[in-house]
Amino acid sequence: MIDIVNVSRLYKRGADEIHALERVNLHVARGRFVALMGPSGSGKSTLLNVLAGLDRPNSGDVTVAGKHLNDLTEDELAEFRAHTVGFVFQFFNLIPVLSAVENVELPLLLTKLSRAERRTRGLTALRVVGLGERADHLPRQLSGGEQQRVAIARAIVTDAELIVADEPTGDLDAKNAEEILSLLQTLKRDFGKTIVIVTHDPRAEKWVDEVIHLDKGLLLETRPGGAARGAAGG
Amino acid sequence: MKYLPLVLRNLGRNPLRSLLTGAAIMLAIALVCILRTMPAGLDAILKSAAANTRISTHNEAGIVYSMPYSYLAKVRGVPGVVAAISWNWFGGTTDLSKGVQFPNFAVDPDGFGEVYADWKLDPQVFEDFRKYRDAAIVGHATLEKMGWKVGDVVTLESTVFPVTLSFRIVGASPAQNGSFYFQREYLAQALAAAGIQFDTTGMIWSRVDDPEKLGSAMRQIDEMFHNSEAVTSTETESSFVGNFFGGLKQLVTIIQIVAALVTLCIVFIAANTASMSIRERVGEIAILKAIGFRKQTIFTTLLAEAGILALFAGIAGSGTAYVLTKLLQQYASNAGPQMGPLTAFIVSGTILVQAIFIAFFIGILAGWVPALGASRRSVAQTLREVF
Repeated sequence: MIDIVNVSRLYKRGADEIHALERVNLHVARGRFVALMGPSGSGKSTLLNVLAGLDRPNSGDVTVAGKHLNDLTEDELAEFRAHTVGFVFQFFNLIPVLSAVENVELPLLLTKLSRAERRTRGLTALRVVGLGERADHLPRQLSGGEQQRVAIARAIVTDAELIVADEPTGDLDAKNAEEILSLLQTLKRDFGKTIVIVTHDPRAEKWVDEVIHLDKGLLLETRPGGAARGAAGG
Repeated sequence: MKYLPLVLRNLGRNPLRSLLTGAAIMLAIALVCILRTMPAGLDAILKSAAANTRISTHNEAGIVYSMPYSYLAKVRGVPGVVAAISWNWFGGTTDLSKGVQFPNFAVDPDGFGEVYADWKLDPQVFEDFRKYRDAAIVGHATLEKMGWKVGDVVTLESTVFPVTLSFRIVGASPAQNGSFYFQREYLAQALAAAGIQFDTTGMIWSRVDDPEKLGSAMRQIDEMFHNSEAVTSTETESSFVGNFFGGLKQLVTIIQIVAALVTLCIVFIAANTASMSIRERVGEIAILKAIGFRKQTIFTTLLAEAGILALFAGIAGSGTAYVLTKLLQQYASNAGPQMGPLTAFIVSGTILVQAIFIAFFIGILAGWVPALGASRRSVAQTLREVF
């Protein structure tokens, strides 16, 4: 599903050069649940952005779902993201003036589906994450955990093969964090999604198949997660 | 169209800010509309004046100075002049405490119909005007304002002469400012009864039979009185009206410059509001781009927000201007002739449509730069900065 070969990413901040990623190689098979972990500034979010088509590497090759992202134009990358990748972020996930179902429908605006079809799919996605009854609520009327579940519903509504999440549990209490990780694992298990998350949360380890450690832009270690060892009961 | 609900929801995100920005644009557009009616009204009056071959002769020292009445016969003898009449300001009013409510003049009935042939009145009206010594032809605006109708008998007390005269209204005219015309002879007889000799005129209006003879006729008239006790100045009606409104036109130009600057200020205010609104949503915009919205789509929806707000504000501003000019027109027609051409000024359909387009343009101009900046901003960079 994901093949990253010798990818480097360099940022310039004033006169300084920051090596966010240095010759990183990564392979993630289809249907795996992977966590990118490491301290702040280790390059894990940059790696997530690169594999999701949000950022371009300075060197190296990125292939996701059979598409060589290096060759795509900005518009083609946007189309790739719209059809192939579902996103979940820590903050600002939802548009505050839209209801839960309208937020979920947002990616479907980029398709040719009719309004009624968009609504049907949006409600279905919300039911999958257990929020079918709260479709008309505005984000401010939902708890943090519910908002994150709406974001997950938005990520799956286009039936994206790859779901990427940047600190999806970062703003949640322990109970809600567990529920979100459990939900992501369900999506992997029941819907065959490939899921890559960036997290500081050690609780995530037991839910994922693989844990990838990065530090200072280098991929240091790849080891099996709890799910691979059967610890999460998945 | 499928993005319209998103655009409208974003406009309602901060209702007070949208309302205040819309109000600022609305007031600017109302101001522009009202100010644009002034030159449009003046142009209409000048065009109407330029379309005929009427000329005006008055004392070179100014229209408040009189000329001997004997000039009229000499003007009538100038080649090309087919008709000429004298004009005297009567300054009549129905109520002295209210001052002069409308312009009223004593004129010569002979030639009146020829000089004002462009009014296209029923010949019987001019015939009655000639036949009845106390006849009066009154402008529609004055009839409406005073609640009079043809056939009524009305009484005016002069603020210039020590006489009070009763008139029978024999016809209505499209005269500017609703002018009230009656026979000079009627006034002359009343003044004679009071022991006052009446042998002057304030102005002489003539009609020339051929537009090509206008220049030579005006030259001849002024040359005729060149060395007399009252040197004259003759000009075409459009020139006369233009000179009369000359000062006003300069004022209008100044006001229009101010209006343009106000509009420019509104562009900056609206642009600042659009920038603030977009800056607050930079994270959300990054999310939209992340989930696949193209930069053109982001740009268009952000621009549409500014455009729609400005469009509605423009419609409200145009409506406000229309109502205000209607009220102004009503006030001016009630206030009296000193309000001059204001009674003729009302926001036209063309000005309304132009104003709505200007408002839309303000919105687009104000939203362009911030929308372009937001659409071009890199998603990864925004995510790094915001999250």
